[in-house]
Amino acid sequence: MKKLKNILYLIGLYFKVNLASAMEYRSSFLMQAFGMALSNATFVFYWWIAFSQIGGRIGGYDFKDVMFIWALTSSAFGASNILFANMFRITTIIVTGELDTFLLQPKDVLISLLCSRTALSTWGDLLYGFVLMALTHGNDGMVWLMFLLGIVIGGLLMTAISVTAHTFTFYFGDASLIGDIALEFIINFCIYPEGIYRGFVRAMMLSVIPASFIVHIPLKLARSFQPGLLLILLAFAALYCFIAYKFFYHGLKKYESGNLIITRM
Amino acid sequence: MSVIEVRSLNKLYRARVKEEGLGASFRALIKPVYKEVHAVKNISFTVDKGEILAFIGPNGAGKSTTIKMLTGILHPTSGEISVLGFDPVKQRKQLSYHIGTVFGQKSQLWFHLPPVDSFALLGAIYDIDKKTLKKREEELIECFELGDLIKTPVRKLSLGQRIRCEVAASLLHSPDILFLDEPTIGLDVVVKQKIRELILRMNRDQGTTIFLTSHDTGDVEQLCRRAIVIDHGEIILDQPVKKLKYDYLNRKIIAVRFNLEQHLDVPKGVVVEKSGKMGARLSVDTRVCSIDEAMRWIISQGGVADITVEDPPMEEIISTIFTGKNTAE
Amino acid sequence: MKFLRKYSTIIRISLQNAFVYRSNVLGGLLFYIVFIFVFFNLWRAIYQSGKVAGYTLSQMVWYLCMTELIAFGCKSNVFRQMNEDVKSGSIAYQLNRPYHYIIYQFSYTFGGIIFNLLIYGALAIVLGLIMVGPIPGFQLSLLPFGIFSAVLGILLNFFFLMALGLTAFRLEDNTAFFLIYQKLVFMLGMFIPLEFLPGWIQRIARWLPFSYVTWAPARLIVAFSWDLFRQVVPMQLLWLAVSVLFASGMYNYGVRGLQAHGG
Repeated sequence: MKKLKNILYLIGLYFKVNLASAMEYRSSFLMQAFGMALSNATFVFYWWIAFSQIGGRIGGYDFKDVMFIWALTSSAFGASNILFANMFRITTIIVTGELDTFLLQPKDVLISLLCSRTALSTWGDLLYGFVLMALTHGNDGMVWLMFLLGIVIGGLLMTAISVTAHTFTFYFGDASLIGDIALEFIINFCIYPEGIYRGFVRAMMLSVIPASFIVHIPLKLARSFQPGLLLILLAFAALYCFIAYKFFYHGLKKYESGNLIITRM
Repeated sequence: MSVIEVRSLNKLYRARVKEEGLGASFRALIKPVYKEVHAVKNISFTVDKGEILAFIGPNGAGKSTTIKMLTGILHPTSGEISVLGFDPVKQRKQLSYHIGTVFGQKSQLWFHLPPVDSFALLGAIYDIDKKTLKKREEELIECFELGDLIKTPVRKLSLGQRIRCEVAASLLHSPDILFLDEPTIGLDVVVKQKIRELILRMNRDQGTTIFLTSHDTGDVEQLCRRAIVIDHGEIILDQPVKKLKYDYLNRKIIAVRFNLEQHLDVPKGVVVEKSGKMGARLSVDTRVCSIDEAMRWIISQGGVADITVEDPPMEEIISTIFTGKNTAE
Repeated sequence: MKFLRKYSTIIRISLQNAFVYRSNVLGGLLFYIVFIFVFFNLWRAIYQSGKVAGYTLSQMVWYLCMTELIAFGCKSNVFRQMNEDVKSGSIAYQLNRPYHYIIYQFSYTFGGIIFNLLIYGALAIVLGLIMVGPIPGFQLSLLPFGIFSAVLGILLNFFFLMALGLTAFRLEDNTAFFLIYQKLVFMLGMFIPLEFLPGWIQRIARWLPFSYVTWAPARLIVAFSWDLFRQVVPMQLLWLAVSVLFASGMYNYGVRGLQAHGG
């Protein structure tokens, strides 16, 4: 419990410095926010056309459901990037030896390294989810509650996936491609109704690439609340993050022993 | 009282050899090829409190590996390390509160922020309370003559200014030992001198032990009382800098260019390493002929167009140490 | 002859360059597979829940394989490259080289495009065959006409991006143009066939260049008709001419500025 408190304290600390740092280059913010709004609008346009072509439901979802999973994906992605923007750079940090800086400090290595950077543009992603929710779901309390819970869980799961993928760098050398692909997968599986997939992919979405836990289960809970399902969701998220954390530290031992494959000649 | 004790320290890497090409990568996946690298070979030494120790050697000699093991980043293959009574392998976190580090290119400062913001973050990371931090900051600003630099975003600082802030940042938590890995690399002469003065002052005023790696002979001569020379992972020399200076850092290289043709008749202690019609590269043995004398003699030749004085490179000194040892044995 | 040799060498070099970055290539191929796979699932679900005008599922999947093939094939850094060359002033140093900057950039990018088209093309065919089998009513003899249209689409896209990149001569931040252009290409053909859009949007889009990058060639490949060919190819040629004029106009304007005021 004390450890968790320390971790939260550290995250808060980095968050403040990150914000100050981001303000230093706010000029590009408007352009990034514009680009983000534009690509999100493209997506809404796509669904509007798709639903107007056939009407009714696609993969068991109606237009509002699709907007919910899209809003949640966007906000969870935004939240994880605001706090843990280094999740994309873990491989670089390992390979260039930037990791040493964090090893020399008396705080948790993984948390420090994840937190020590923010991506300003992703504030837009976070806000966009809220705007979309306000437009499509108004003041439906339960839906909003699950949306907020989903942001926390989804943000943590996305980060955990990225950490797991990049940790392979400790074992096989440059794993940035695995990291990119893992995130591409997770986002792609999050933004469409789960009903469009079958057997194997569905199983993946409930395990290795836990897209269902990020968006589809929160939606299910928002439609009809089941305490048991909520518990499963929380337990799964905690377990997944725990495994990712442990896996990283296991890999870190390789770094400490100096037996990395990276040849820096 | 010793603050660092190292006994028969060894570091063996088992580096995977990766060849170029897709086929080779694939083969390596199935049957990896390993190469053993013995980076540090059975070294032992101690460092006393308040000492300034230079750990010198050419690139790839094992300096960084050793410093990484002392700070807990790397774990040794065998041997014992005790830093301030801590075992860096098992107690890295506890140890980190008591040591400061400046590692060449790896910055603790946030690139887009003024150092003062990074200081605040580091203060929190090292659990320094606000009042102590404030006082410490003021001390360091004065000592390192930082003034307004501390409020300027790091990206706008010159390299020298940045290194000063970097060293100050590593001292915020009042460490007992400061590890400096190549602190003056890439700096010009004046800035180098400045950094050296600051390090000396800090050692004098605060009694901070300093462990420094460098391949700049200037750093060693001007900063340290004792030097350990390491090459191919082995300690080849551990003695006071005074003696090292007398035995090995006793030469200066003078390159001189003349306006007109000169026939050089060198005085005692000066050797012509290379000469052309209009210039020469001279090696001066400062035990026999002081730099002052050598320069006077050169000027007296007349028609000097250009002149530079340099320390011989570290690689040359190392090879001198080896030949010296071999002839003594 | 000399002219050809110079620029064909540039194409060859950039082609070799593309082979060097194997992991990039691998990553791109994987993204393409994921992309097609996801959309295949999505459209399969859509076809299960209702009728879609104008395309069968098989045609739809092949359509996406083709638009994405052109999108990945067209993928080049030309906008960013132009932008940086202009902003950093390095374009000034290219003026006194013995080649024409625009043709040089074109040749350089073209090597990458050929490479991408070959490998993604092979992948597209494999994926399409696995997911939905051959295109119904496909005639190999008509394929060259579709390919011809695809080449026009790629060229058109290339010169528009180049022209937009060169607007950096005039504008501080021109990224907005790029984003808008890119999204219009996405919406007016790449993700959804033009036929699915509301009538009034279709009518406007037919006069604009965006749909001619991916929609026209993809439609010609999955459901060829001479009627459509006669409608779209002249429009592609027209817009290609406009884009080339636009790019060289921006370039000449910029160069005059450089010569008058320096970088």
